[in-house]
Amino acid sequence: MENDNNIINKIIIFAIVLVLAFLGGREFYEIRHFKQSIVVSDSFTKRFMLSDYFEGIKGTWADTPVYLYDSGEPGGSMLLLGGTHPYEPATMLAAYIAAENISVKKGKVYIIPEANYSAMTLGVLGNAFPNYFTLDTEWGSKKFRIGDRGANPLDQWPDPFTYVHYPSGQNLAYQDIRNLNRTYPGRPDGALMERLAYAIMELIRNESIDLYVDLHEASLMYPVVSTYVAHDRSLDICMMASMTLSAEQFPMNCEASPKGLRGLSHREVGDFSDTLAVLMETAEPFIDRVAGRITEDLMINGKDEFLQTASEAGLLYCQPAYDINFGAPIQYRIGRHLSGTVEVIKWMNEFFPEKELIVELPIFADLMEKGAGYFLHNPEKAIPEKLFYN
Amino acid sequence: MLFLIELIHQIYFIMAAVFALLLIRGLFKRNTRKTLIYDIVYAYSIIPFLLRALHIK
Repeated sequence: MENDNNIINKIIIFAIVLVLAFLGGREFYEIRHFKQSIVVSDSFTKRFMLSDYFEGIKGTWADTPVYLYDSGEPGGSMLLLGGTHPYEPATMLAAYIAAENISVKKGKVYIIPEANYSAMTLGVLGNAFPNYFTLDTEWGSKKFRIGDRGANPLDQWPDPFTYVHYPSGQNLAYQDIRNLNRTYPGRPDGALMERLAYAIMELIRNESIDLYVDLHEASLMYPVVSTYVAHDRSLDICMMASMTLSAEQFPMNCEASPKGLRGLSHREVGDFSDTLAVLMETAEPFIDRVAGRITEDLMINGKDEFLQTASEAGLLYCQPAYDINFGAPIQYRIGRHLSGTVEVIKWMNEFFPEKELIVELPIFADLMEKGAGYFLHNPEKAIPEKLFYN
Repeated sequence: MLFLIELIHQIYFIMAAVFALLLIRGLFKRNTRKTLIYDIVYAYSIIPFLLRALHIK
């Protein structure tokens, strides 16, 4: 009789655990399979998968859509990357807003809104990070997921004890083998993120991309924030762009890509192709270690009293200095990225007239005046040829 | 090298499934630590292995 009771208890406990696993699992499943709508602008030419340039990522979760905007007029070309680190979502949003509003008059533009698609499919571990955030638009609200920094372990696992970067042989942190921005220039027979980096390099090399812009966000305590990081060949255009931006729109720094720090896009993409490689950082309070509660509101508005204290103690590097009355709202961060992109294009055109690229994008002032949601179009009213899901 | 990477990756899923099965067996049939609290610990520990084996988390 006691044995029977024991068995019944175990079955009940097991059933409860299965229900809990189902509830938790459903949340994880939804994040992984979440689909993001995109209504492309009138300049849109075609959409294709990155695996068209390298078969090695075909059918994997690293394969990601690429949006091409070709003016038909010969000129320069640019590859704009958002979502290299999906827990820096202003980068993905800047790329989406560019894709939905760009007008290309000369040359062509490739946009990858979710460069590390695999990392987009899981939430950040720890700190009770929210999985989604919502932006208000003129037609309702639009939901976005907040991914992680590195690839989903479902797609690339295990991590090695030591990650030896290819081809430099430099030892990097073990988890960085799942970090797209530590695996450039990649290799065709490496781990998934190395293959993803290789696929992006193949796109750059095959299409002779003139300008490569990789968007990022950084914690405010990280010295490389509110800045361009420029490869040797793109240093002049970034210096000029940072000076112009600082004089006319917002403070922007410029740093030279360190030669000894391997695997990062601003170094390897420049070294292993002829493109002008640029990485941009803007301030994201959401990922700061000293920030208080990690909430959706912090993601959208960036107001945090602990950061204010850190700012008063001179511990932050962002420019202008952090002020809780303003915070670091998402439209501010997106605006910085879009204006930063427009400015490097402008200076590329000045320095290299043969690579002239003429584009129109919403810029910092537009974002600050109208908000980010204004530039996202209603998928329900879009014509089918312009509506896609990532 | 690609084959080895994929093989090791898949072995981890198989290991997760094996551990989940071992924990289920431990839940229903074990000779030591037979109290209710250990039933709960065994059952609860199954979740991560189950979700990994099913390619969910």
